[in-house]
Amino acid sequence: MAAGMAAFQAGECSLMDSDERYRRLFRTALTIRLVEERIIELYPSDRIQSPVHLSIGQEAVAVGVCDALNADDLVFATYRSHGFYIAKGGPLDKMFAELYGRIGGVSKGKAGSMHLSAPEVGLMGSSAVVASSIPHAVGAALSFKRRGSSRVAVAVFGDGATEEGVYHESLNFAALMKVPVLFLCEDNGLAVHSFKNARQSYNLLEHAAIFGIESRRVDEGWDMLAIRQATLDALSVVRAGRPFVLEIATGRYKEHVGVGDDFHFGYRSAVDIDAWKARDPLLLDEKLVAELKPEIDREIAAAAAFAEKSPFPGRDELLTDII
Amino acid sequence: MNVSTKERPSTQTRVLSYAGALLETMDAALADHPNTFIMGQGVDDFKGIFGSTTGLAQKYGAERVFDVPLMEEGMTGVAIGAALVGDYPITTHIRADFSFLAMNQIVNLASKYRYMFGGIMSCPMLIRLVVGRSWGQGAQHSQSPQATFAHYPGLTVVMPSTSQAILDMYPQIIARHPGPVVSIEHRLLYNLDFSVSAETPSKPIPLTSYVAREGRDVTVVATSVMVLEALRAAQYVAEKAGIEVEVIDLNSISHPDWDLVIGSIRKTGRLVIADTSWLEYGVAGEVCRQVMVRDPSMLRQAPAMLGMAAAPCPTAKSLEDIYYPSQHETVEAIVTQVRGSGHGIELPVERSMTEGYKRFRGPF
Repeated sequence: MAAGMAAFQAGECSLMDSDERYRRLFRTALTIRLVEERIIELYPSDRIQSPVHLSIGQEAVAVGVCDALNADDLVFATYRSHGFYIAKGGPLDKMFAELYGRIGGVSKGKAGSMHLSAPEVGLMGSSAVVASSIPHAVGAALSFKRRGSSRVAVAVFGDGATEEGVYHESLNFAALMKVPVLFLCEDNGLAVHSFKNARQSYNLLEHAAIFGIESRRVDEGWDMLAIRQATLDALSVVRAGRPFVLEIATGRYKEHVGVGDDFHFGYRSAVDIDAWKARDPLLLDEKLVAELKPEIDREIAAAAAFAEKSPFPGRDELLTDII
Repeated sequence: MNVSTKERPSTQTRVLSYAGALLETMDAALADHPNTFIMGQGVDDFKGIFGSTTGLAQKYGAERVFDVPLMEEGMTGVAIGAALVGDYPITTHIRADFSFLAMNQIVNLASKYRYMFGGIMSCPMLIRLVVGRSWGQGAQHSQSPQATFAHYPGLTVVMPSTSQAILDMYPQIIARHPGPVVSIEHRLLYNLDFSVSAETPSKPIPLTSYVAREGRDVTVVATSVMVLEALRAAQYVAEKAGIEVEVIDLNSISHPDWDLVIGSIRKTGRLVIADTSWLEYGVAGEVCRQVMVRDPSMLRQAPAMLGMAAAPCPTAKSLEDIYYPSQHETVEAIVTQVRGSGHGIELPVERSMTEGYKRFRGPF
């Protein structure tokens, strides 16, 4: 609640508004957590027969950022996008059906977990090739600018993606063309099992500065309201036609891909994540969890039931929608 | 010689260079479709991609025709993002070889976007590549990557061989093709003049293969500049030996009219494949695959194939001249198919294709 109080003290809103906002964000974050915990339970049953990249521990980023966006702003994300899908307002039933490989899924089961999208609420296609959706956000933003639209596009990526060439190309082009794009780095410090200090010779904010791009780092990656406010601040720059790099520190609780923990492999220690868990509102605010969980559980159960009933795509789908 | 034998209601023609046809279609795309823009290295400079975009930045403004940094992957990704929100991007690679830097976006994203997301999104766009072949372009400025791109479902790959093919295909690609199109243009064709129909076709012309010359003795399936080489050879063997060659311009590499191709091979029983790239795992292999899976007995003998030697392209002229099939070799392949190796027909002396196009400017 600390950040909510800070927002209140900054005179941004009344305490009641702030409380309502906290509950709204908390509820969305809890939905993401409970959906992914349900995925963990379901996974051994082979209802989901494809890789899943869980965002447990990183929910606050998706929730804080998406809450600051307008409904018609676009998000281009990655293979770890359950959080962004839910935070942007994607329907749970179509998500579960997609994960189950059913015709009732967002993409008729052809996308699965790694390629979630919900264009009707502004989540464009998620890509499983690291960094590859970053220039898409720049392109959409270029289009918005030429039309004189006030919409913005958000490129979501992890810290590993910033090592790819196309990240640098995208920053350079966005700065040159002055397009309304927010570069959002979810810095969980890991690329699969490699630590950032073994991969990067640069500081992300200094790197952005050489392109003349304003930037900010948020270290409190558990704090939804702080992330929301940082995003709103960044968006005021972006909507004025200048790209912005927002780096948010966060913690990936689970293994890179799959539904397990990975501390027993020895490449990292549970202690690294304990520091995040000690601040995690979804773990700390047990009262609010208890209050909200039953309803969310019912929504998840209904979505899973929808998926269960949806047919598998048949042979007629194999060769449709190619060109 | 007029390479277009497509039936047209009008006999009115005009002369138009390949670069001129490109400029006309780019201009019309910008005029007719406000959502269209062109970006690429040098599209707004004084050379204008060999004259195919010259003056368009001045005419339509820097927001619609603009230079980009050296960022092939980024540019293609930007195009995808713009296409996803309703724009129609046209990107250019002044040498096709540089499109390999954009392979991630073209192959992993653009080609898959519609299918991977279950048909709810697509990214229609035109990616123009120019095969740099001519005069010492060497190993990295001369490649012709049609087989590479046509391998991937989701991409439409065309190789216009004439000004008419550009006038027929580009407007409808830009106006209504639902997905990404890779068009592989050829530098040797840019400055050639062609006879084209003076009238706009009243209905869409399929993005597919067509008969460029009718004949009964042997079928030549050709791509891009090799269509012109085949037509020149056809004229030669008709005059020298009375051999009538049927030339099929494959035109669409990803979606050829196989019924048309197979029908012709059935008729003649003899096949020569003339492609601008390597034979290995390429157009030549695919044409043969189509024959094999249908009815290999339609061939009276083993087919002949013309393409680049199985090596990177050498720069030295003495090697480049033998790297590409010359008119001498094209004619030899055709007459050997029809008359056998002891044919006794005098072959043309031309042994360097590049030299041939230095002298010959058309109109075709």
